Amino acid sequence: MSASLHLPWMEITPTAVHDQASQHANEEALAALVEQYATTLYRVAFSVLRNAADAEDAVQEAFLRVLRHRDSLSEIRDHRVWLVRIVWNIVLDRKRRAKTRPETDDVSELARVLPAKGLSAEEIAVAVQHHTRVLRLLEKLPVKEREVLVLSAFEELSSVEIAAVLGVTESSVRSRLFRARKLMAELLERPRSVR
Amino acid sequence: MKTSQNQDERTGAAGAAEETLRVIANLPAPDGLVDRVQTRLRTAPRSARVLSWPMVFAPGGWVYGPAVRGVAAAAIVCVVAGGGWRIYSHVQPAASARIITMPAPASTGRGFSTAGSVHTPDPRPEPTHAVDAAAAPSMKPNLARPSKTEHAKKAPKKLPPADAAK
Repeated sequence: MSASLHLPWMEITPTAVHDQASQHANEEALAALVEQYATTLYRVAFSVLRNAADAEDAVQEAFLRVLRHRDSLSEIRDHRVWLVRIVWNIVLDRKRRAKTRPETDDVSELARVLPAKGLSAEEIAVAVQHHTRVLRLLEKLPVKEREVLVLSAFEELSSVEIAAVLGVTESSVRSRLFRARKLMAELLERPRSVR
Repeated sequence: MKTSQNQDERTGAAGAAEETLRVIANLPAPDGLVDRVQTRLRTAPRSARVLSWPMVFAPGGWVYGPAVRGVAAAAIVCVVAGGGWRIYSHVQPAASARIITMPAPASTGRGFSTAGSVHTPDPRPEPTHAVDAAAAPSMKPNLARPSKTEHAKKAPKKLPPADAAK
């Protein structure tokens, strides 16, 4: 016969069990988000920062922010757009701060990351030079047009989703995209007309 | 014809630019990215805490039970009520307003005040020589102050003393 000590405060309340369960569920949901969207976020980050290490840092920072707000994960309707928006804000902030630093060498970075299957060394060099020139001209576009043009290159993002990421209307996304294409074409033609 | 050719060139140039962006947008993520992010999330602090409370204070601990909450609420009510009573019992009600009569100002008229000075009679004694009332000329009040010329005319001439005539 053993007299066990039983006090009410020793009980594990249903609330505690529920909290632990929801916390576990949130962590699982977060792990699933990382699995599903880490690559997309990396691409978005790289398209702005154009540096592999910085892009990966931005992705990690984005998921750390999500971790801090993991309790509100269930309230988010479209996780993909939400995550892209988070990483987009992070990379823009980083780029703004990095303006004081010397710009990274686009040529060497692109040559390192661009796919080179089935291409000769000469072809790779030409492609890299072309891409570098385009990216440098892209920097001359107005910010709003440039942002829309960069995000429109992602096939997984529709114009509605781009509008959600940028916090503007869909019609303004379309008009900005039109202007961006026009300006980009003019910039690409200019050196040829000079020649 | 030329316009449409320019249009085509522009479209081609814009297409080339977008092709570059598409290449970058489709870059493969570095190997092990997901694992590194997962590891970072696992090692990250769960939440920003200033103090590390024991588990009983963690959400779901027994501290959050209804009985403990009730006791805590009662204690707060007692403290607040006790503090209020203590203040009430120590603070006396203010006495009714009294009318304080201010002393009247010394001088209400215009000009200089007397500065508190009081008129006192002249302490000197009365003059010893008696004034001959009969000798005094009876004059009408309006002639009390004769003019200098009149005074000079009517003034008795200085007579030599009687002893000298002799």
